[in-house]
Amino acid sequence: MGSLVREWVGFQQFPAATQEKLIEFFGKLKQKDMNSMTVLVLGKGGVGKSSTVNSLIGEQVVRVSPFQAEGLRPVMVSRTMGGFTINIIDTPGLVEAGYVNHQALELIKGFLVNRTIDVLLYVDRLDVYRVDELDKQVVIAITQTFGKEIWCKTLLVLTHAQFSPPDELSYETFSSKRSDSLLKTIRAGSKMRKQEFEDSAIAVVYAENSGRCSKNDKDEKALPNGEAWIPNLVKAITDVATNQRKAIHVDKKMVDGSYSDDKGKKLIPLIIGAQYLIVKMIQGAIRNDIKTSGKPL
Amino acid sequence: GDGTEFVVRSDREDKKLAEDRISDEQVVKNELVRSDEVRDDNEDEVFEEAIGSENDEQEEEEDPKRELFESDDLPLVETLKSSMVEHEVEDFEEAVGDLDETSSNEGGVKDFTAVGESHGAGEAEFDVLATKMNGDKGEGGGGGSYDKVESSLDVVDTTENATSTNTNGSNLAAEHVGIENGKTHSFLGNGIASPKNKEVVAEVIPKDDGIEEPWNDGIEVDNWEERVDGIQTEQEVEEGEGTTENQFEKRTEEEVVEGEGTSKNLFEKQTEQDVVEGEGTSKDLFENGSVCMDSESEAERNGETGAAYTSNIVTNASGDNEVSSAVTSSPLEESSSGEKGETEGDSTCLKPEQHLASSPHSYPESTEVHSNSGSPGVTSREHKPVQSANGGHDVQSPQPNKELEKQQSSRVHVDPEITENSHVETEPEVVSSVSPTESRSNPAALPPARPAGLGRASPLLEPASRAPQQSRVNGNGSHNQFQQAEDSTTTEADEHDETREKLQLIRVKFLRLAHRLGQTPHNVVVAQVLYRLGLAEQLRGRNGSRVGAFSFDRASAMAEQLEAAGQDPLDFSCTIMVLGKSGVGKSATINSIFDEVKFCTDAFQMGTKRVQDVEGLVQGIKVRVIDTPGLLPSWSDQAKNEKILNSVKAFIKKNPPDIVLYLDRLDMQSRDSGDMPLLRTISDVFGPSIWFNAIVGLTHAASVPPDGPNGTASSYDMFVTQRSHVIQQAIRQAAGDMRLMNPVSLVENHSACRTNRAGQRVLPNGQVWKPHLLLLSFASKILAEANALLKLQDNIPGRPFAARSKAPPLPFLLSSLLQSRPQPKLPEQQYGDEEDEDDLEESSDSDEESEYDQLPPFKSLTKAQMATLSKSQKKQYLDEMEYREKLLMKKQMKEERKRRKMFKKFAAEIKDLPDGYSENVEEESGGPASVPVPMPDLSLPASFDSDNPTHRYRYLDSSNQWLVRPVLETHGWDHDIGYEGVNAERLFVVKEKIPISVSGQVTKDKKDANVQLEMASSVKHGEGKSTSLGFDMQTVGKELAYTLRSETRFNNFRRNKAAAGLSVTHLGDSVSAGLKVEDKFIASKWFRIVMSGGAMTSRGDFAYGGTLEAQLRDKDYPLGRFLTTLGLSVMDWHGDLAIGGNIQSQVPIGRSSNLIARANLNNRGAGQVSVRVNSSEQLQLAMVAIVPLFKKLLSYYYPQTQYGQ
Repeated sequence: MGSLVREWVGFQQFPAATQEKLIEFFGKLKQKDMNSMTVLVLGKGGVGKSSTVNSLIGEQVVRVSPFQAEGLRPVMVSRTMGGFTINIIDTPGLVEAGYVNHQALELIKGFLVNRTIDVLLYVDRLDVYRVDELDKQVVIAITQTFGKEIWCKTLLVLTHAQFSPPDELSYETFSSKRSDSLLKTIRAGSKMRKQEFEDSAIAVVYAENSGRCSKNDKDEKALPNGEAWIPNLVKAITDVATNQRKAIHVDKKMVDGSYSDDKGKKLIPLIIGAQYLIVKMIQGAIRNDIKTSGKPL
Repeated sequence: GDGTEFVVRSDREDKKLAEDRISDEQVVKNELVRSDEVRDDNEDEVFEEAIGSENDEQEEEEDPKRELFESDDLPLVETLKSSMVEHEVEDFEEAVGDLDETSSNEGGVKDFTAVGESHGAGEAEFDVLATKMNGDKGEGGGGGSYDKVESSLDVVDTTENATSTNTNGSNLAAEHVGIENGKTHSFLGNGIASPKNKEVVAEVIPKDDGIEEPWNDGIEVDNWEERVDGIQTEQEVEEGEGTTENQFEKRTEEEVVEGEGTSKNLFEKQTEQDVVEGEGTSKDLFENGSVCMDSESEAERNGETGAAYTSNIVTNASGDNEVSSAVTSSPLEESSSGEKGETEGDSTCLKPEQHLASSPHSYPESTEVHSNSGSPGVTSREHKPVQSANGGHDVQSPQPNKELEKQQSSRVHVDPEITENSHVETEPEVVSSVSPTESRSNPAALPPARPAGLGRASPLLEPASRAPQQSRVNGNGSHNQFQQAEDSTTTEADEHDETREKLQLIRVKFLRLAHRLGQTPHNVVVAQVLYRLGLAEQLRGRNGSRVGAFSFDRASAMAEQLEAAGQDPLDFSCTIMVLGKSGVGKSATINSIFDEVKFCTDAFQMGTKRVQDVEGLVQGIKVRVIDTPGLLPSWSDQAKNEKILNSVKAFIKKNPPDIVLYLDRLDMQSRDSGDMPLLRTISDVFGPSIWFNAIVGLTHAASVPPDGPNGTASSYDMFVTQRSHVIQQAIRQAAGDMRLMNPVSLVENHSACRTNRAGQRVLPNGQVWKPHLLLLSFASKILAEANALLKLQDNIPGRPFAARSKAPPLPFLLSSLLQSRPQPKLPEQQYGDEEDEDDLEESSDSDEESEYDQLPPFKSLTKAQMATLSKSQKKQYLDEMEYREKLLMKKQMKEERKRRKMFKKFAAEIKDLPDGYSENVEEESGGPASVPVPMPDLSLPASFDSDNPTHRYRYLDSSNQWLVRPVLETHGWDHDIGYEGVNAERLFVVKEKIPISVSGQVTKDKKDANVQLEMASSVKHGEGKSTSLGFDMQTVGKELAYTLRSETRFNNFRRNKAAAGLSVTHLGDSVSAGLKVEDKFIASKWFRIVMSGGAMTSRGDFAYGGTLEAQLRDKDYPLGRFLTTLGLSVMDWHGDLAIGGNIQSQVPIGRSSNLIARANLNNRGAGQVSVRVNSSEQLQLAMVAIVPLFKKLLSYYYPQTQYGQ
């Protein structure tokens, strides 16, 4: 629907090592009878959602610009390779001028009608130190939109992973602290119970989209710890896609359901009826009063 | 570009360049040139912004980034620059419809060298920017600076002489480049004369064996074009090699030829480069008949990187004068060009101004713009302010040079007059007008006053950026005024000696500071500050124009001496307050400044919980820094922010900071205006003025720039530039001042940051950030000190241009004077108002007097009876009823009138009787009023509210003499409860003859409080003459205005009443006087016309105005509701004519409907038309409300359509 499914040309551009791994992962998926997979990418503006999509596909499919928000509406990129189709939906940033951009979320939701989300990539930056209220609000907004089950299908992607942490912190410490604080926010924002949250075990993947990303000996883009991140990410995606939980299907109900003014609309006639009765009652009482006290003044 | 911003990028698809020497690794620097619009056309204000950027790199560190990032892809050399002009379309709205035009407005200078990537959709064209000036410069090592200094000074002198002596405007611009230790150096000089650009490109690539120089020798014009196109400067420094020295000299000479129609084209360019010797010279001779250009450019390079510097000034003044000055890299000179449209659209007048910079060094200077409206040459107002001076020359064609040629061939004529203008001495100006060839689509228009631009990335020193601030601080936002004042006070020059001494001390102090920070006077910031100081000096005293160079020598000598001696402690301390989002590294920055851990930081927690300050010595300079808790970006957190900021405010109450350092991360791409809430909160708490002394600090400055649009790497400098632009823009918005241009400084606190030998942290662009940051802060402080000094002088009593003195709002005062006010009357005449005017109707009325009584008897029907009537009967009945009602009312009115007349007569008789008797009468009449009665309900405007809140505004009319009422503001902020104030009034009678009315009103809404007090009295003297005297007090803006007015009315004729009045108003510190004449003509019962005219003056400033109001009413007003009024008003102030007219008509339709139409229009083309129909009958209209209900219902039945695919 919508966008055309194309042959995955960019795939060839991955280093051989990456290609092999990817083929392996997709093969696994196929074994589980999954011939297609839909990945939704969400996150604040400017964290690198579109860049991540580009990196994943291996082509410049989504326009990226460092200083302007490019995407104002969701874009779906579909690529097929050897019978397997991957759909990645890139979305506009969820934060606008200090507010959560609910309008953007509505757009995204509208776009997703009748689709199934296999994996949600929640993207944020690794090299930011603080988690603030806004992050929490974004999580809350996502939860309200898609339900908290979505978090069971979520992968936390931290971009800008190639960076040297500030003083006295090792890379590992820093990244684990950072992902912990984000996960905490997600838990708080999604209002999941602790147990529930631990079950969902949101995995964290690091990414570095910059062209300056260092490469390992196999010419794959690698993180400071030496791992090639693209295969890592794809592996995590396939893991999440194949975990036992149900993929999130966005149907009309989900889209419409959250209109607050539609909630309890069946009560409307009842309330009107009740009002009518009350008014009648009061009128009766007044008449009664008038009768009993004789003439009004 | 999207919507508001238009970014012109230059892509270089330039074949030649591409092949030759552009490699992927080259980095493009873009310079943004931004022009802002000057808001007010009427005021000659000059805004100055210039941006200079400097890039210093030291040789030693050539492999900076590599270590850090370990990637080979890093740009080796950052010498490429391209300048981009960015326009903000919104700014130009008024002036230019066409973007292309706008882009040409600013002379942007563009050099680009190599662009590794194509920006923007890969268009091959570039739209370019006129070059105003480019300087490309690197900083030379410490040595040899003095020589240069002197030589450049010489140059300046010569130029000045040339300009002032030749009225024809031949200017010689000489430039001078001294390079001693450059490794590579490329040099760009652009002279700008309006339409022309000159760009010189030098490209030097040092290789092992030498330099390849494609166009070494004299270049013919044809070739020149091509070369120029992509003006490029490329430098590559290869590592491990010895340094290569290049020297470039460029000279530009221009002559202005007088005479129209002649065109002179001399284009010579010589480029000599001798790599082996390390000297390259390019000479450019440009002679254009029309333009005078002064350009000097000097480039020096020591490091791998050249510094590029561009400054543009766009000046916008009311269309008359504009000067845009371009700055070359050579410090001393600036040439500015202003263009004026002459009668024909294509002819342009350029008025370059040169300023002598007092600072000798070779760095690019800031540009300054002065507007001289007073100068004789500049009188034409035809232009719209916002057009660009440089016009389309470069723009729109991929080969800018061609246009250059065309321009050269264009006819030029010089306007000798202009050179004679009064400013010549201080600022040589040459004006030439050029009529460009037809090929140019847009003749340049005036460059708006603001140049802007970001400097090339790193430096961001943007010295010039201080300009606007300074001018503001001085209170001489309009130079015009300032200069005028000066003219008038030439005799006072002596007084300035003292000031000059003080300025000199400040200068010495600053040089010492710079010295301690290890900055030579060549540093852009230093140069800029010195320049400004010199400029201020020049402005102070006319005879001080040449002081600049002289005092610099002295100052620097003194500074050296003092520093060398090591005694004489420096009397300087600076307080810096750090603000910024949480986690950007405020505390870490402070630690870096002091090089020790003053505050502990934590990566994940809010490190700083409360405001605290720390004091310490940095290079022997006392620095106090205030650390603040981090602010939060989201809207929902703003309350918290406010709390934090209020605590900060309390903290700094005693010891206010000199500088505010606003920190943000370089590598966070806060698009989506995400910082806006935060910035606004800061503005709200501290007031927008906090931004005037703010420096933007970008932390994490060593981060890798993000990838460009197509995945290729983008340059560090461009990244920094863009990022700073975003923040500056946001601050501008938050401060509500588009002129603001905060300097940007980079900060890197990371311990892994590369350091130089001295252990100072160095950024990827080679900048050592700490001294830079401190220098910027100190510079602000120093400038503030100088301002304080100068301001002091401004306040010398008796000077008309005292700081911040505002012209009183004459039009406002005048219109309140013109308002016709009723004269206070004695109580017994209170209701007789109409009578005077209606006198003439009286006689005619008498005929119909008994009409009502003659009607046949009429029986009104009850409701039940009405129901039985047929439709036509009902109608008849209602008509009849209405007719009778009307007559009845008429009759009552007449009786009332008669009664009043009788009463008047009676009262007159009473007066003749003894006093006691009359008192009796009054007591009697006063007696029954002692019971308070409710006043009639206020009529509220129609609204969609479900209930009618009239009852909330009921009040009693008591017998008290004071009448106190609520003030109802129907359009107030709270539409539900509209009380906004209290009104009290009282009428006294003095000596039974003289009524005095006093009324006062206090209103207060969320924003401000208003007080209004009015006292009036009137005396009748003679037959039909009365004089009223009044005193008003009211708030105007933030001040109270006191007005004393008097008016005399002549009621001698029945149909014509005249009045004349005087008023004196004291507002703030100014007094204005006004005079008015009013005439009321009553043509007939239903037509009357009131005309009034007046003038108001204050401080030699005049405003004239007049109003006319005609009224056509129903024959039996007020019973008939038909009413038409026509009003016209004219106001002339400062030659700005405002004409407004309005017409209002009220027509009854049928019994219960009313149509009110209203229209107004003014001479600016703004107008409004409104038609309103009131009806109490057509209930069907209410059915309209059902439509949305239906719609909603329908959507339940056909919901799918919404999501159709």
